[in-house]
Amino acid sequence: MTALRVLASRVRALLARRRRGDADLDDEIQTHLDLLTDAHVARGLSLREARAAARREFGGVEQLKEAYRDQRGVPLVDALVQDARFAVRTSFRHGSFTAVALLTLALGIGVNTTLFSIVNAVLLRPLPYPESDRLVQINTTTQGSGPASYPDFEDWAGESTAFERLAAFTNRSVAVASDGLAERVSALQVTAGFFEVLKVSPALGRTFHPEDLDAGGKVAILSDGAWKRHFGGDDHVVGQLLRIEVWPTTDEETFTVIGVMPAGFRFSVSAPEQIYTPLMRDPRRDASFLRAVGRLRPDVSVAAAQAQMDAIASRLAERYPASHRDQGVRVAALVQAQVGDTRTGLLIFLGVVAIVLLIACANVANLMLTRNMSRRHELAIRNALGAGRGRLIRQLLTESVVLALIAGALGALLASWTGPLLAAGLAQHLEAPRIESARIDFRVLAFTVAVSLGTALLFGSVHAFAAASPNPGESLRDGSRTTTIGTRGRRTRQLLIITEMALALMLLAGAGTLLKSLFALRTTAPGFATANRATASFWLPNKTVANDAERQRFIEGLLSGAGRLPGVESAALVADLPLSGAWDSFGFGIPGRTRPEGEGFAANFNIASAGYFRTMAIPLRAGREFTSEDSAGTPRVVVINETAARQFWPGENALGRQITLGDKAFGGTLTVIGIAGDVRQMGLGEPPRPEIFLAYTQPIPPWPWLVLVVRTAANSGDLAEPIRRLSQALDRSVPVQDIRTLDEVLSGSLAEPRVYTILLGVFAALALVLATVGLYGVVAYTVTERTHEMGVRIALGATQGVIIRLVLHQGLSVVLIGASVGLLGASLMTNVLTRLVPTAVAGDTPMLVAMSAVLVGTACVATYLPARRASRVEPMVALRYE
Amino acid sequence: MSPSPAEVPYGTLDLMVLKTLDALGPVHGYGIARRIEQVAQGSLALNQGTIYPALLRLEQKGWIESQWGTSENNRRARFYSITRAGRKQLTTEADNWARTVEMMSRLLEDQS
Repeated sequence: MTALRVLASRVRALLARRRRGDADLDDEIQTHLDLLTDAHVARGLSLREARAAARREFGGVEQLKEAYRDQRGVPLVDALVQDARFAVRTSFRHGSFTAVALLTLALGIGVNTTLFSIVNAVLLRPLPYPESDRLVQINTTTQGSGPASYPDFEDWAGESTAFERLAAFTNRSVAVASDGLAERVSALQVTAGFFEVLKVSPALGRTFHPEDLDAGGKVAILSDGAWKRHFGGDDHVVGQLLRIEVWPTTDEETFTVIGVMPAGFRFSVSAPEQIYTPLMRDPRRDASFLRAVGRLRPDVSVAAAQAQMDAIASRLAERYPASHRDQGVRVAALVQAQVGDTRTGLLIFLGVVAIVLLIACANVANLMLTRNMSRRHELAIRNALGAGRGRLIRQLLTESVVLALIAGALGALLASWTGPLLAAGLAQHLEAPRIESARIDFRVLAFTVAVSLGTALLFGSVHAFAAASPNPGESLRDGSRTTTIGTRGRRTRQLLIITEMALALMLLAGAGTLLKSLFALRTTAPGFATANRATASFWLPNKTVANDAERQRFIEGLLSGAGRLPGVESAALVADLPLSGAWDSFGFGIPGRTRPEGEGFAANFNIASAGYFRTMAIPLRAGREFTSEDSAGTPRVVVINETAARQFWPGENALGRQITLGDKAFGGTLTVIGIAGDVRQMGLGEPPRPEIFLAYTQPIPPWPWLVLVVRTAANSGDLAEPIRRLSQALDRSVPVQDIRTLDEVLSGSLAEPRVYTILLGVFAALALVLATVGLYGVVAYTVTERTHEMGVRIALGATQGVIIRLVLHQGLSVVLIGASVGLLGASLMTNVLTRLVPTAVAGDTPMLVAMSAVLVGTACVATYLPARRASRVEPMVALRYE
Repeated sequence: MSPSPAEVPYGTLDLMVLKTLDALGPVHGYGIARRIEQVAQGSLALNQGTIYPALLRLEQKGWIESQWGTSENNRRARFYSITRAGRKQLTTEADNWARTVEMMSRLLEDQS
């Protein structure tokens, strides 16, 4: 009660300054002094003596006023205004100090703001749907986050009460024909209610109704992009027809357009979907292909929904043990489900930039400790004039806050430039939704302000408490310029340098680990030649795939046409291109060998045309590759890779051996006619798996995808247009895409590790520079501080070498302690990084040694320069130096 | 040899001021300070200025109030007087003080 009244009074005083202002207090004090003086005069003192006695009895007037002001106002606010004014004045007076501190902090805060603007865009900013925090995605736990079947989805929807509504969706690749020319686009098949869950209405027309499915589901909704591209943005598009083929379910069919989504609406993370079609019911319990999206009821948490879905999942596991025994269900906020693995990377890098900021903080704390030395006089005088210790600490902290806030503003300015730059760079190589929308918004600014204030507290408290020692007499007495900061100050600085060195080594080790793994990837032979080779992908319509003669006609036409293109030396086809990560595994048998049930042989199956291995320069270790002699009429043949030969026929000659495939359409008994060198199918970082090639001219699986590779003469021009014309001449309904050189394919497969390496490299370099500058500053300062001592040593006969060794020893011993601490952090750092780049090796000793050498070497230079200066001191000058 | 004057024990200045105002009625800062010194008879080293923050503190708590008036030497001075809440506070504090003193004396006698 009383405390409240005091606060009210203080706030009133703050608002109405005049109520009991300084002038009133002056009056009161003056009256008091006069009365005291009168009393002394009455006792017989002279007026002068009486005045002096009165002042003595009254005590320090300025201290009283300070104490009075503290009691009167809300002292923090009061003092803050005063201190902030003072801080700005002081900062201008110490120009170079302020510039260095500002630059350091602005860099630190700038990189943090930059990264946070991306984290904000990807992870924090709400999805562009109404009340998006209630949206969840529901996956099964198959392989982390897997799809579910349609009956699963129906049970989820029927048995749960946590959701206002559930809908299912699945990503599909579809061919859209306009003017007969086919184009492959990404599409989304969705159940009725999908758009209602998201609470997004179409810009034109309507969404899907359950009746649409009963009527066969031949209706489509267009994205804004598809609407403009295929219908020129025609307002009367609803009711018009569109030819669409959905793989693998339908042949090209006519769909009726029923709606258009608004511009900017997009659900898929990677390839923005162009077209929405109804998701038809598939009654098979074990055909998992869809995911669910739901809107939680307002009072239901994600955890509660998860608990309910767990119960449903265990009931399904009991009912369908064959397919659902180990299948759980995971409910996750939609925004998180969409981000997936990128989240880990972003969080790791947020930690990395925090380390950079810590180093910057330590640097500025050191700078301020140094500057406080030259300010001791000022602080002592202010102390003597009535500023208490608390007030001095407050003043120094306010200076730090002002400095940090200005640095924060500069950092935000920096980030407004680097943020979009980094976002654009990352967007090309990482699958991160909404990353290109990164910008400095309100939330990012709030983050910057918070980080700036936190920074100020961190470096400010270090120096403020060290500096505001309440001992004015001592400081004033021996306040000559040679006063050193004392043991405690030196400890603080050494601790700061150790911290900086340790943190810098952590980042260096991280960058080294990524660099080494990238280098290892780059020097990994892909197993085929990439120079002067180009590739293009085709996607056959379902009716062509279903018709062998049609398919052979297209394949032969493509091969012979491509072989005749100008500059092309040889042409071949393959189903799954190396490094593409695409693979299809089948089980097979080996005659004469029995395997326990369910543990048969399995390998990746691929399809190649005659001359494929020659065109790709994949070496044949034994036997021959497919030729035009191998046809539907001749015995079935396969080429296998070395890994398959080693794994399935260890210690034997695989050539001439047979395998059996069970499939009705393309199965049979096949003979191994060749063993080819291994290629990196999954990516440079993944070891080769056993691979078996079928011949295009013999029965093959019904895959619509097809990749053309051509070997060209050096400097042959761009093949994109000729290849596209060739394909259109053969069949206008076959879409062509991804026309690239194999060099581009190779470098594209390294894009993600390269981006991470460059990013971490930049941050590590920044950390190293900051830490080195910090070390240099401290050593240089110590040397100046000890000029006198050095002079004495030189006068007494110390050689230059002795002095240099002395300084180096002191500087480097701190560096070495820092490096040892840093090695501990480094193994932690590299461990974390293996989650980002799986091929990275944690705690790799040669790399750690190399990075420690980089750190210590740089530190040597930073220490040697001031050491050399110290060794050249003129003894006479130094001895006079006061 | 008389004992050297003691510092004002922490927290007791407020009580002294309240008691003084209770005894004297409206009085200015100088009057309060002089009265405390007189009662202490030289056993207290009071920096007279320190009573002003104390007065402000007490006024903020609502235990005393003040108004401007004219001093004996015709100067502008603020006159302080105790409020009803202040009297109540004084009684409580005085009781506390008495108990503390009693406790301390018993403790010290025991020890000797």
